Amino acid sequence: MKTVLGIRDAIRTGESAESIVRACLSKIHAEDEKIGAFLETFDDEAIAEAKEIDAMRERGEDLPRLAGVPIAIKDNMCYKGHIASCSSKMLAEHKAAYDATVIKRLKEAGAIIVGRTNMDEFAMGSSTETSAFKKTKNPWHTGKVPGGSSGGSSAAVAAGFVPAALGSDTGGSIRQPASLCGVTGMKPSYGRVSRYGLIAMASSLDQIGPITHTAQDASLILEIIQGVDEKDATSRDPKDADLPEFVSASFKGLRIGVPKEYFIDGMDKEVRKSIEAAIDLMKTQGAEVKEVSLPLTEYSMPAYYIIQPAEVSSNLARFDGMRYGTRAPGSNLIESYLQARADGFGAEVKRRIMLGNFILSAGYYDAFYKKALAVKTAIHGEFENVFKEVDVLVTPTSPSVAWDLDAKFNDPITMYLSDIFTTTANIAGLPAISVPCGFAEGLPIGLQFIGAFDNDARVLNAAAAYQAITDFHENGPGVE
Amino acid sequence: MPEIELNIDKVAKLSYLKLTDAERKQLAEQLPSIVSYVSKLQEVDTSKIESKAYLTDLNNVFREDVAKMDSAEREAIINGFPKQKGGALEVPGVFE
Repeated sequence: MKTVLGIRDAIRTGESAESIVRACLSKIHAEDEKIGAFLETFDDEAIAEAKEIDAMRERGEDLPRLAGVPIAIKDNMCYKGHIASCSSKMLAEHKAAYDATVIKRLKEAGAIIVGRTNMDEFAMGSSTETSAFKKTKNPWHTGKVPGGSSGGSSAAVAAGFVPAALGSDTGGSIRQPASLCGVTGMKPSYGRVSRYGLIAMASSLDQIGPITHTAQDASLILEIIQGVDEKDATSRDPKDADLPEFVSASFKGLRIGVPKEYFIDGMDKEVRKSIEAAIDLMKTQGAEVKEVSLPLTEYSMPAYYIIQPAEVSSNLARFDGMRYGTRAPGSNLIESYLQARADGFGAEVKRRIMLGNFILSAGYYDAFYKKALAVKTAIHGEFENVFKEVDVLVTPTSPSVAWDLDAKFNDPITMYLSDIFTTTANIAGLPAISVPCGFAEGLPIGLQFIGAFDNDARVLNAAAAYQAITDFHENGPGVE
Repeated sequence: MPEIELNIDKVAKLSYLKLTDAERKQLAEQLPSIVSYVSKLQEVDTSKIESKAYLTDLNNVFREDVAKMDSAEREAIINGFPKQKGGALEVPGVFE
């Protein structure tokens, strides 16, 4: 299994970065046709950058922390001079005029961005099927979805194309596809990673995070991208900024909470068994496990489906064909806006914009949006109380394994329910990570650790402790 | 809580979306079911809770009000405009 750490160390000790990047790109060109993870690869630059890393090493210079490591980025992150389209026709030709802060930091660390990955259009969806360009397949079974909205990034790591990818998570969009694709995906605490250059979806919920095979790799990437950024007023330096590079992890004495509201009827029996087996294993390793209750859990979905569309409708108001994307013909300015948005946006995007504008309109703003924000605050408070008794929570990431492509697509409520375990961490702003914990019908199952606000290191430690005693994360359809 | 009256055409106008008949019909069917799902929030007593959008304790994160220009970036942005005139964004007339 090729990891960020493994590749980084190999390059430091003399292995050619150029050969690694060439091999990475060859594999993508040979195999991505049947997966559809990438929208575009940046071959020439990636190879040139890799050559420069090799040259630096030959000159005896110190190599930066991620020198030569190939990484993929989700299509909603601005990488200067490259298209960032959010998998939407609206931005199909949009070239970023600047680097997102996370991109800047990764490049300063020597990482090599090899391509941009497919996603649900404007990050709206849980299966990567709403992409205006193509559907991504789950590398474990190409008749199944990879999850979403960071389905391309998750599939790219699962298929062994890259050891790491960046995703973004507003309601589970890193963790759920990571779960369905059998890889590790982490959403940091809100504000830990700068959103500057991330094409905004819901500004009070969005976070960028790493998708990798291991918690160790996730930790390494997070350490590079985290931290206050003067260009993002919601970003800050976290209290536990020093993430150990080799996460020394143990369950001994760790207080684990199992929230009873996350073990619901209708949950796949195999998923439940797998999570319960994992919890038993943690107990044998010295964890103190207790049941806890989060009664407001059932309100996080409605709160999410008010806050997110409301903020989305506001953030997507800028897409009118004037400054970005394709200008639409119209007899006057308003006609031009209407045509650009009618042509540029897919059905799910239009649905959420409509819902959001309705929620924020006069007469409903207080009852819906303000009420949802109050419930959000209440949910955050409820988690804070529970974290006085426990250190981390363990839950399933997804109530089911990957489903068939083209299934469930027309029923919005069913699609929303498949996010039910993940939106709470976004609503409460908490760090959460999904790790592979088993299989059902040959498809990966994910387990989620949720931590208290800014306790990202502790969450990574729990995930690393689990990976030290299991090997689910070492399997993979594309893993060598 | 006000009685929910979902006027699709009014919301479409607020959204700057020109809907086809098929889209209008689909939205008229789907939006009410989502709206009623979210009405569930009225069950939560938040009378003593403040509505906060952002959970962090950051406040008034400002910088000095001095223009900082990256001319390369500015040029990249202008070159990305669908239509430009003398370095300014050219748009259709509001009234034509």
